[in-house]
Amino acid sequence: MFPLIEIDNVSKAFTIRHNRTNSLKSSFIGIFHKRFRETKETLWALKNVTLSVAPGETLGLIGRNGSGKSILLRLIVGIYRPTQGQVRFPNGARVGAMIELGVGFHPELTGRENVFLGASIHGLSRGEVEEIYPGVVEFSELDSFMDVPIKNYSSGMHARLGFALAINLNPQVLLVDEIFAVGDEAFQRKCIEKMEEFRGEGKTIIFVSHAAETIKNFCERACLLDHGSLVFLGAPSKAIEEYHRLLAS
Amino acid sequence: MLRVDTPNFPYFLLVGILPWNFFAQSLMMSTSSIVDNGGLIRKVWLPIEVFPIATVFFNLAQYLLAMAVLFPMASFFFRVPLSRSALAFFVVLPLHVIFTLGLGFFFAAATVFYRDVKHFTEIFLMLLFWLTPIIYDVRVLPESLRATVYANPLSFFITSYQDIFYRQIVPDPFHLLVLFSLSGLSLAVGYIVFSSCKVRFAEEV
Repeated sequence: MFPLIEIDNVSKAFTIRHNRTNSLKSSFIGIFHKRFRETKETLWALKNVTLSVAPGETLGLIGRNGSGKSILLRLIVGIYRPTQGQVRFPNGARVGAMIELGVGFHPELTGRENVFLGASIHGLSRGEVEEIYPGVVEFSELDSFMDVPIKNYSSGMHARLGFALAINLNPQVLLVDEIFAVGDEAFQRKCIEKMEEFRGEGKTIIFVSHAAETIKNFCERACLLDHGSLVFLGAPSKAIEEYHRLLAS
Repeated sequence: MLRVDTPNFPYFLLVGILPWNFFAQSLMMSTSSIVDNGGLIRKVWLPIEVFPIATVFFNLAQYLLAMAVLFPMASFFFRVPLSRSALAFFVVLPLHVIFTLGLGFFFAAATVFYRDVKHFTEIFLMLLFWLTPIIYDVRVLPESLRATVYANPLSFFITSYQDIFYRQIVPDPFHLLVLFSLSGLSLAVGYIVFSSCKVRFAEEV
């Protein structure tokens, strides 16, 4: 079987611009004054990462802060382009939006309006949103708050609406970036159950988390990143072990 | 000074200033359209072209609403009925929109890399306003100054609108050809610049 996502020797460089000139004014002055000239430094945020994800697989991504986990997700979604290497989808899979809770939500709009706004940003038509709308309301348990502007929501309610929407967008590949830090325990459990259900349906999940337990229980494979390099790929429990060793050193 | 002998001057002014406002507002809003939506662009994959396009169409809607108010008023207060030349509006308007969109693409992309382009655009538009025959009729200008006014591409659009609604004649074919080339050129250049650097937007905003 073809892999769903093929990450082939991908590197991503960012330019750190010291003394950054991001205006015409300072670029112009820089011609005459050395002090206003920018100097560039290249930072390799990801180095030669090769990884393939099989359909229906649940892959965990772990690593310290700034090890390149979120950048890898963004490369998969297509927000960033790799500097070297390629990200391929041999089956032509449609990768769902990265789950970041409440992207595109507008504080002045009501919960209902935000569901429509958020979903259309992810490319759903009006009809499609109307179809998923009851599911979103049911999952978020915010039935009586859908006509309240979300600026009046508590942060937990905000996150619940965001997760409920994200999970109902029904992507083929679910990319989940650190989202279980929110909501009370009951809601967290519900999220995990929903993800289990997704896995049962044979959907591919890529999962970024710092929670060792969740990775161990939930993922079939885990991938450990450190300073942009892939350090370990394999059994979750082994990856967590390696990760803890990294943290200790 | 200029002798103002433009009959029905308020009508003349409105016919020119409404499309100008559409153009200037679209451009000003386009410059910040990418930067202001940086949060979205960094988190979701979406066709980034929608931001300048939405800006231009938002302003287009306002322009059309203003026009819808102008014509009943014009026939009531100034006794200027619409003539058949008004049909040429449907040729000039799309070209004007395409021209504006091209520049919008260009400035939106430029602002991502040089944040003060926004302020330069404001100053540039102020200058352009006086170089466009909006509050004066290009026909009252001495021959020597006309070349300067027509060095400004927007003059061709504004005078076309004036031809259509004020002088009630169809703009001559040469004029339309100029509009056609200007808008094509603007869109081509603007879009090429925009799409060649759009992959870097997510990193730069």
